[in-house]
Amino acid sequence: MSSSDTVSKGVEAEDAERAGSVRLDHVTHRYGRGGETVTAVGPVDLTVPAGEFLVLVGASGCGKSTLLRLIAGFERPTHGSVRVSGAAPRPGETAGVVFQTPRLFPWRTVQGNIDLALRYAGVDRAQWPERRAELLARVGLEGTGKRRVWEISGGQQQRVAIARALAAENPLFLLDEPFAALDALTRERLQEDVRQVTAETGRTTVFVTHSADEAVFLGSRIVVLTKSPGTVALDLPITLPRGAVDADELRESREFVDLRAQVAHAVKSAAAA
Amino acid sequence: MSTIPSPPRTELTPVPDEPPARRRRRGTARVRHIALPFGSLLLFLLLWQLLAASGTWSETLVPPPAKVWSAFIDVSTTHDGVRGYNGTTLIEHLGISLRRIALGAGIGIALGVVFGLVMGTVGWVRSLFEPWITFLRTLPPLAYFSLLIIWLGINEEPKITLLAVAAFPPVAVSTTTAVTAVSQSLIEAARALGGSRWDVVKDVIVPSALPETLTGIRLAVGVAYSSLVAAELVNGLPGIGGMVKDAANYNNTPVVLVGIIAIGISGLVIDGLLLRLERAVVPWRGHV
Repeated sequence: MSSSDTVSKGVEAEDAERAGSVRLDHVTHRYGRGGETVTAVGPVDLTVPAGEFLVLVGASGCGKSTLLRLIAGFERPTHGSVRVSGAAPRPGETAGVVFQTPRLFPWRTVQGNIDLALRYAGVDRAQWPERRAELLARVGLEGTGKRRVWEISGGQQQRVAIARALAAENPLFLLDEPFAALDALTRERLQEDVRQVTAETGRTTVFVTHSADEAVFLGSRIVVLTKSPGTVALDLPITLPRGAVDADELRESREFVDLRAQVAHAVKSAAAA
Repeated sequence: MSTIPSPPRTELTPVPDEPPARRRRRGTARVRHIALPFGSLLLFLLLWQLLAASGTWSETLVPPPAKVWSAFIDVSTTHDGVRGYNGTTLIEHLGISLRRIALGAGIGIALGVVFGLVMGTVGWVRSLFEPWITFLRTLPPLAYFSLLIIWLGINEEPKITLLAVAAFPPVAVSTTTAVTAVSQSLIEAARALGGSRWDVVKDVIVPSALPETLTGIRLAVGVAYSSLVAAELVNGLPGIGGMVKDAANYNNTPVVLVGIIAIGISGLVIDGLLLRLERAVVPWRGHV
């Protein structure tokens, strides 16, 4: 083994320890016990360096949500290991999570939902008003703090859920098909917002979707999963410009359209296999 | 008296942008909500008066409304040196009974909430207690009242215990059901935000079970209320149920009727207050 090899391995190992990094080693997950088990995921090997925006794409039932739940720490893998920032993930400590539905607490107002997240994150009560205003502004919901959560639209509810998940300032941000239930216009606007928020905060993000369009628009890297059990079918870095860009121009660019076709094709053939 | 007919009444301030049909419909709704209940009450009093005046039954069985009214005045005031009924006015009888209900049902409700929370979260506790609570719920309170008297004597203890035992099952059952039905995805959301086990109980389970629990509490107060006369059957004076029982012993039908009406009206008022409380405390009902 050459010395350069050792050095690069050392760098990789160090990188996997950095805050927000994710490392999956031979991860398999099975549901059920005894003879009747269904393998949902695996085996999957995947390393997400800190600061990356990874999008997991696949047809429904390919285990991409399960993979996200494993990274969030809601489930433990049947085999293999999941490490976030170099340690086993723990719900509420390692990652902020946005689910398919907003899952807001209806007995609390919009700001009440955010305050709860601030309290759980151990933020000093004196800082709440400032932090709350900052979070609401980040998702474009200034002035809605006092509203009841059922009085605002579905898109706004999902924005509150995003603000709530960002409250703890975890280095990792997980989103499980968060815009699937929204109309196309709201979805595009929220995609632009998520792109901007993650670029601003530099958080590692893992985003699950079944839409090739969404994947190419958001990701700095796309992983396409095969169908049950989910394994990596395609691992594609996205070189589209990030940061402040004209979203419409980007969506219409030749490069974007080509990538989208490539990903859509990969998703289709992965689902058929 | 002049017989000049008054001019037909017209709307002085017509609302221009409201179609007359809708205005008429809203008028009809108001009639239905206010006039009909009052009308039926008046009709009832009239029939009662006619029945009593017809002499079909003796006055002991069907006293005329006027007699009941004067009994109401008698038991509410001091007259001929006698204070109310048996030395206590109607409002005091009612107050003493309400205090018994507040104490008894309060204990039953508090225990019911605690049991419900524990039974809803810990499976084996539920399996342990549920059959007993179901059994208790099917028993009419009078069935165990005799036992309570043997055990606890004839003073306040058996009455308070009866009301507590009667109020306990509805609250325990509704809270258990509500806690079992708490949305797992909301619990997971709280955990994802970093909430501890206790945080989840306090911030998710309790508030999401609250609407059902409050319904259980309303039910429990209703059950306690209907057990009141039973609880005051023995040594119930002073107390509204005791008053009814005592008056019945002397065939004093007017006072019995006064007592029944007082129990009914105060029950309606309490239920109305609990309903308003429920709406004020759980505005999210139906939005989970």
